[in-house]
Amino acid sequence: MTTSNTTANGDDQAQSVALTINGLAVNAHEGMSLVEAAWHGGVPQVTSVGCLEGVCGSCRIMLRRGKEVTVGLACQTFVENGVEVVFLPPASAPLHHYEVSDFKDGWDIQARFQDIFPEASRCRHCHGCDNACPKGITVENGVALAAAGRFREAGEAFFECVMCELCDAACPELIAPAHVGLFSRRVTAHFHLRPPNLIHRLEELRKERMENPPKDRRKKNNED
Amino acid sequence: MSKGIPLAEALARYRADADIAPLPGSTDIDTLLNTYHPDHLRGSVVKLAVGANAGDSCQRELAGLLQAEAFIDEADLAGSPVTDIDVLVIGGGGAGCAAALAAAENGARVLLATKLRLGDSNTVMAEGGIQAAIEPDDSVQRHIQDTLRGGHHVGDPTLVSALAGDGPEVLHWLINQGMQFDQTPSGDLHTRRAGGMSTPRLVHCRDYTGLEMMRVLREAVIQHRSIEVWEQSPAVELLSNEVGQKCVGAVLTSLNNGQLRIVRTRSVILATGGLGRLHLNGFPTSNHLGATGDGLVLAYRIGARLCELDSFQYHPTGLVHPSHLAGKLVTEGVRAAGALLVNGLGQRFIDELQPRDVVCAAILRECSEGRGVRVNDQHSGVWLDTPRLERAQPGLLEKQFTSLMTRTRVAGIDPRVEPLLVHPTLHYQNGGAVIDANGATTVPGLYAVGEVSGGIHGRNRLMGNALLEIISFGRRAGAAATADRDRGPKKVTLEHVNQLRRALTLAGLPMTQRAPQILPDYAAGGVWNR
Ligand SMILES: Cc1cc2nc3c(=O)[nH]c(=O)nc-3n(C[C@H](O)[C@H](O)[C@H](O)COP(=O)(O)OP(=O)(O)OC[C@H]3O[C@@H](n4cnc5c(N)ncnc54)[C@H](O)[C@@H]3O)c2cc1C
Ligand code: SF4
Ligand code: SF4
Ligand code: FES
Repeated sequence: MTTSNTTANGDDQAQSVALTINGLAVNAHEGMSLVEAAWHGGVPQVTSVGCLEGVCGSCRIMLRRGKEVTVGLACQTFVENGVEVVFLPPASAPLHHYEVSDFKDGWDIQARFQDIFPEASRCRHCHGCDNACPKGITVENGVALAAAGRFREAGEAFFECVMCELCDAACPELIAPAHVGLFSRRVTAHFHLRPPNLIHRLEELRKERMENPPKDRRKKNNED
Repeated sequence: MSKGIPLAEALARYRADADIAPLPGSTDIDTLLNTYHPDHLRGSVVKLAVGANAGDSCQRELAGLLQAEAFIDEADLAGSPVTDIDVLVIGGGGAGCAAALAAAENGARVLLATKLRLGDSNTVMAEGGIQAAIEPDDSVQRHIQDTLRGGHHVGDPTLVSALAGDGPEVLHWLINQGMQFDQTPSGDLHTRRAGGMSTPRLVHCRDYTGLEMMRVLREAVIQHRSIEVWEQSPAVELLSNEVGQKCVGAVLTSLNNGQLRIVRTRSVILATGGLGRLHLNGFPTSNHLGATGDGLVLAYRIGARLCELDSFQYHPTGLVHPSHLAGKLVTEGVRAAGALLVNGLGQRFIDELQPRDVVCAAILRECSEGRGVRVNDQHSGVWLDTPRLERAQPGLLEKQFTSLMTRTRVAGIDPRVEPLLVHPTLHYQNGGAVIDANGATTVPGLYAVGEVSGGIHGRNRLMGNALLEIISFGRRAGAAATADRDRGPKKVTLEHVNQLRRALTLAGLPMTQRAPQILPDYAAGGVWNR
């Protein structure tokens, strides 16, 4: 059959691979992810791990191969001879603040975006974010779309974003592209998602409640 | 120990275009379940000796943790920094975030403490979708009926009607927070029908529903002015009043430096999720790293009643290889789309669309009777025949199962040309802490929401009801916890721990094991000396 099945399954004679993780020498087996290798090699304090399948974005690493330095997700990256791996500390608290409930309507949303993310229009097109993204998202283009007020398209670009915030760390202008992406997705749903089937059912339930008000358990609980 | 057809031989024998004999006649479902489902494995269930569920059945390894020694003593509390807050939420998955947001909306100052990073959770991995009765021919009543029937009529009807009744409003709230869902061309929310539903009711965001939900809620929590978040800060114990009968706070540790911190509060909301990473009965799991059942241990030790401690959902199709994805799911949708299950002899052995517990038992039967595909002494499985599906419906896998294709591509596997080797995987904890419609446990001051709670799903959960539950009950508990007009604790103690120690001694149980588990042993390097 195909080679991958035989290599992936035939781990009995797996080749040994030597690398360093957080400064410690580790001998791992071929085919192991960097998370498995860290555990296998007894590297302490590797707790920035969650889903193990590339969707939570927490296992951020920096990887040095000779002169080349890249970033990525440890659970999606496999051991290689001679690489140096460092698990990155969690991202710091976001610099941009907003609550969706602050927004009155969608008409001034572009202005609000520019108040909240003033750096977004200062992108220098350095591709830092695109190179950092482990999901192959066109981050730079997404930021440009958001800065132009095209939030639906911007949000669509970030569809597979796992919030690892590696793009934020790469951005020299502190634009926080990951949060720009989420802002774009959130305002799109908040202002434009108005599904008739849901609205109809909500209205039915509201009328039902008006006709025969339910016994509100919460109120009752507080009274006694 | 493990029998079966060696992998190489099975691969050589496998043909995507082989004729497949029809299924052998009807299977006796009850015998199949009683013989092969892990819940019924001999020796896998024991009776609890102490605590609120003394005398009840409980899975053996879980019982060990529920009746274990605590990590800390009164002496550890002296000198630990103290934080006062209105509401403490423990756990940063979907349920915890929903509870924190609801409490904050109602005016509380909230602290959300979570074990790993905010959003590292089972929530983020959910693919299928969330249930809500919104289609014209559907109703809240039907949703209630389906859920009760699916849970084998063990679920609590009060909780189930609260859940189903909240469905449409939950979607409204999620959209307001900024969550997107798939729409039909006319703008309706797109619904699918999945196992146990009498009509389409599963709302989704492609096959990334959990990711979309989690990143929106995570951002909403991070951005909220009244919510403070502590990451890498697992709870190791709850705090009780002088008589050990009310929950008045918690003790958190730090995964970075082991520093203990005391939090005093009016109400604690436990939202710690499931327990797949306990690998019950030696099974792999689909769960995230932090799913170690801590909430059950903490709740039980402070006296809360739990339910259905011997009922777990094993998902039939967890991956056996590549090793870094061991236990991870191949979504049920692949079988729904027509993929067959085939044993090492190239035979079908079960109707693939039977309920999860039945399919799971059938796969275990094949493996234990020597018809499975044997990888090595520990690992065996059966084929999920994706190449045959691809032949029948070219392009389908790429188009509809993006998440599966992305995950296998990373490992150099192409499900379109080679079948996937699958084995049942520990997926969901059906039971948990007994709660009322506000998420309140049987211990005053303590709420439990999400997978850590029990009573809604009876002995079997339907797909899509967990994501609904975490928002519906998360919000109920957040609001109720804020409405508690208690003035806060005078004294915080570990009296409940002392009481449990006495009970364990009286029952003659050893106190060698410590709990909660916090991290699986294979990942705990440098963090714990258990
Ligand atoms: C692969 C997969 C697919 C699924 N698909 C679906 C689906 O399609 N539809 C559906 O409805 N359901 C699905 N489910 C089930 C559903 O996702 C979960 O039951 C639900 O999301 C649980 O939410 P939660 O908030 O209760 O727990 P989680 O989301 O797991 O969050 C628990 C949080 O608590 C933290 N925590 C744990 N212990 C401690 C501690 N001691 N101190 C502090 N924090 C702690 C954890 O780190 C985590 O952040 C799926 C589950 C899995 C694993
Ligand atoms: S867009 Fe940014 S946060 Fe999202 S996956 Fe890519 S690098 Fe990570
Ligand atoms: S890293 Fe920042 S400045 Fe560079 S292209 Fe991306 S958004 Fe623009
Ligand atoms: S552990 Fe979740 S992305 Fe790697």
